[in-house]
Amino acid sequence: MDAFEKLEKVGEGTYGKVYRAREKATGKIVALKKTRLHEDDEGVPPTTLREVSILRMLSRDPHVVRLLDVKQGQNKEGKTVLYLVFEYMDTDLKKFIRSFRQTGEIIPAKTVKSLMYQLCKGVAFCHGHGILHRDLKPHNLLMDRKTSMLKIADLGLARAFTLPIKKYTHEILTLWYRAPEVLLGSTHYSTAVDMWSVGCIFAELVTKQALFPGDSELQQLLHIFRLLGTPNEEIWPGVSALVNWHEYPQWNPQSLSSAVPNLDENGLDLLSQMLQYEPSKRISAKKAMEHPYFDDVDKNRL
Amino acid sequence: MAELENPNVMTNLITFLSSLLQRVAESNDINCRLQPQKISAFHGLARPSISIQNYLERIFKYANCSPSCFIVAYVYLDRFAQRQPSLPINSFNVHRLLITSVMVAAKFMDDMYYNNAYYAKVGGISTTEMNFLEVDFLFGLGFRLNVTPNTFHTYCSYLQREMMLQPQPSLNIAESSLNIGRFLKLHLCFNEDETSHQQQQLAV
Ligand SMILES: Nc1ncnc2c1ncn2[C@@H]1O[C@H](COP(=O)(O)OP(=O)(O)OP(=O)(O)O)[C@@H](O)[C@H]1O
Ligand SMILES: [Mg+2]
Repeated sequence: MDAFEKLEKVGEGTYGKVYRAREKATGKIVALKKTRLHEDDEGVPPTTLREVSILRMLSRDPHVVRLLDVKQGQNKEGKTVLYLVFEYMDTDLKKFIRSFRQTGEIIPAKTVKSLMYQLCKGVAFCHGHGILHRDLKPHNLLMDRKTSMLKIADLGLARAFTLPIKKYTHEILTLWYRAPEVLLGSTHYSTAVDMWSVGCIFAELVTKQALFPGDSELQQLLHIFRLLGTPNEEIWPGVSALVNWHEYPQWNPQSLSSAVPNLDENGLDLLSQMLQYEPSKRISAKKAMEHPYFDDVDKNRL
Repeated sequence: MAELENPNVMTNLITFLSSLLQRVAESNDINCRLQPQKISAFHGLARPSISIQNYLERIFKYANCSPSCFIVAYVYLDRFAQRQPSLPINSFNVHRLLITSVMVAAKFMDDMYYNNAYYAKVGGISTTEMNFLEVDFLFGLGFRLNVTPNTFHTYCSYLQREMMLQPQPSLNIAESSLNIGRFLKLHLCFNEDETSHQQQQLAV
């Protein structure tokens, strides 16, 4: 791995560090995600194996982070290390939102719209290729600050959903962005889980605060129920058959505009379709791109 | 292929895959005396004494992965053979290729699966060797692990058809002296829609 000069650490994940680095031969700045195969019994971490193979397929989309190469090296102890070489992006949506929170400014409505359109487009691309991301959150959405270009990253939890397998895990997704059907224990979820996350991110871009900041699975559900009303068989057929279903306190739905002021009517309509309880009624990424809310974005440029 | 859930179908599939691989390996053994070939990490020093069928049955019994993984593992072996024409499947490497491909398939496909150490035990090799083979296999495949429903169903229906026609796959020596990849290519025009656009972008 002498081909790269590490400049600084920019992130740290479960399986290794992410560096900003310079490719010596070309001077090009890249992001290097280093994966140590530290657990001998585990071999290549499943997150790396999936991330690389899925990005091999999806990395062509302008709204999915570009994987440039995968290299094999050795660390000082002689153990195998894998390096994933990505195009370098200078920020992520979490940092971007935080910078606005700190200055007290709101993110311009036009910027929110453009970011949301790009997000829907990237998600539509993943879903179109049979891939669920399963960990969409601001931290995993990389951005170019100058151009406001957004790219989906961190496909370590992603999986193909089109072939029959035994059972999906429900240990996915950071709690705050986790869809209610997953929280309630469904193991046959689909693309709608990503759309729920997209809805949460939408609201967060507008308010600069997480929409449902739960600190346990139960609290997470209660946050959702308090805003959207406690679901029942009538609005969500089958809900009471999900394994984690219990009797919950009864709340009536609040209007979304109370939780997300400063969003216009079209925006609220789109958001409400992303936050539908019944997964099959939740809007798809592709449909979302055609929603009137996006009528005035420059679709050809994005 | 919901029928994969049926234990009888799986038993037949395992038997069929084993005899298919065995024939390919044996004919490549003959072929390899004629032309020099690369020796890979998958190449055992001796021909393993356990038959391919017993080995695959053992993997099936202990791996406990989704039945689809066996089809996917087979797709991987086929891709591997196509991408590594200098490493044809033979009696010395077929066992290691098998355990590695099933393990990688389970790791890619299933949310719950056994770790490398477990597969090493099932496969009768050391964990160190298992890890080494895994990395080699992944790079050998260019990390192309995703199998589209299209590809999956093409392989399924091919296997199903062959299994129904005769219990033993018949392939004449001339064909089987190539690798499985070539063999399958002769028989199906599977549309691997990932191939075309992948080549341009990554040199993994
Ligand atoms: N291409 C990139 N350009 C710039 N920074 C990046 C890039 N990829 C990742 N990072 C930074 O590194 C962090 C961790 O990356 P990533 O999410 O891919 O790794 P991870 O191991 O999955 O981490 P985590 O477990 O925290 O989600 C990101 O949040 C981001 O700040
Ligand atoms: Mg991350």
